[in-house]
Amino acid sequence: MNCDDSRMYLPAYLDDELDVAESLRIQKHLSECGDCRKAQGQHLALRSALRDSDLTAHPSADFSKRMEAALRQAANVEARSQRPSWFESLRFGSFRWIPAAAAVVLVTTMGTLLVMNRSRSSHDELIANAVLAGHIRSLQANHLVDVPSSDRHTVKPWFQGKLDFSPPVPDLSELGWILIGGRLDYVDGRPVAVLIYKRRMHNINVFLWPNHGSADDAIRQEDAQGYQILHWNGAETTYWVVSDLNNAELLELGRALRGH
Amino acid sequence: MTSQEKRCRFEEQISPHLKSAYNLAKWLTRSHEDAEDIVQEAFLRAFSAFEGFRGEDAKPWLLTIVRNTSMTMLKRNRNTGATIGFEEALEDPSERSPDPEEMLMISCDREQVRKALEQLPSEFREAVVLREMEGLSYKEISTIIGVPLGTVMSRLSRGRDWLRRILSSPPSVKREGGAGLR
Repeated sequence: MNCDDSRMYLPAYLDDELDVAESLRIQKHLSECGDCRKAQGQHLALRSALRDSDLTAHPSADFSKRMEAALRQAANVEARSQRPSWFESLRFGSFRWIPAAAAVVLVTTMGTLLVMNRSRSSHDELIANAVLAGHIRSLQANHLVDVPSSDRHTVKPWFQGKLDFSPPVPDLSELGWILIGGRLDYVDGRPVAVLIYKRRMHNINVFLWPNHGSADDAIRQEDAQGYQILHWNGAETTYWVVSDLNNAELLELGRALRGH
Repeated sequence: MTSQEKRCRFEEQISPHLKSAYNLAKWLTRSHEDAEDIVQEAFLRAFSAFEGFRGEDAKPWLLTIVRNTSMTMLKRNRNTGATIGFEEALEDPSERSPDPEEMLMISCDREQVRKALEQLPSEFREAVVLREMEGLSYKEISTIIGVPLGTVMSRLSRGRDWLRRILSSPPSVKREGGAGLR
């Protein structure tokens, strides 16, 4: 090993990122070369300066208590939102009480079978809860968009480098769906793209990420807490669409997105 | 898993990394208030995504969310005057690693080290903080920042070279602060 190689490998060596063979080669070179030992000394001096524990930033004394309280509150909100959706639509949905009442009749006659037989898997249910929570949070926290733009050529590149995929961003303005921006969110333990479209006063959150499973173009629909949720697995992309817009119109958007 | 069980598991696995989360957010934003806001938002996002957490290493998982939340906030604030560093700033190819013969001793003055690190452009600062303060591996850093391993290595190396250069310069140069960055 010459000095150029040694200088190149030195940081990785000191970071314990070299394999044994390379470590031995650099150790041998260091034992023979005074200049490289000096360089090593400089690296180590900087390291110990940076590892000074006083450089580590500390939050306020009561911060962890505040976080505990925030988490407890989030857990409570979540517990409330996890009631079965037919129960919620019975309470809040003005038009949906008839099918909901029918569902109640079915439930009473068939015991818990209906609930257990719901077509979505429990994993899908978790995701449905997550995208619904994401939608509500985006409206509450006044954090609907990270990149406000009606131009798909602005929104699409914005996601570059933030995601390990490039989300399709169709222009649907001719169909009456106004793109108002994009946002990064977390669903199912991964960062996902969110496109926000608007129709009249209704915001629509479109969550999307690569589909690594099987494709199923059929759009599934669910209402929860007065919101409509659409879901389908395109050939390349998984879609979840959430809004308080009415069922029929939202389905229109679902079909338009699927067509792109 | 009920919401309360989930909260207990979350507090067991994720909450112990609260200080690391804050440290990263603080070094990225250089603001105490912003850092606490970011950590709070990141924790709530992490909590809602916790079902997707498959028990891998909790610290990089959380720090990925903290880092992305910080970046989102920094970008939102950029229009209002807050600054973040730009990679081009250190891109000068004529700047080689300092030759040990030419180098003076590295300053161990804590305030100088702190200032130097604050002036380091954020792309390099985050790599240095994650490696030196949080003790994460190249691979974990690459996951958190979302760049290839080679990019992590080059950012660490250029960031550290720059810090060594600043911290070993004579005091007159130090007073010019970030001059070496422009």
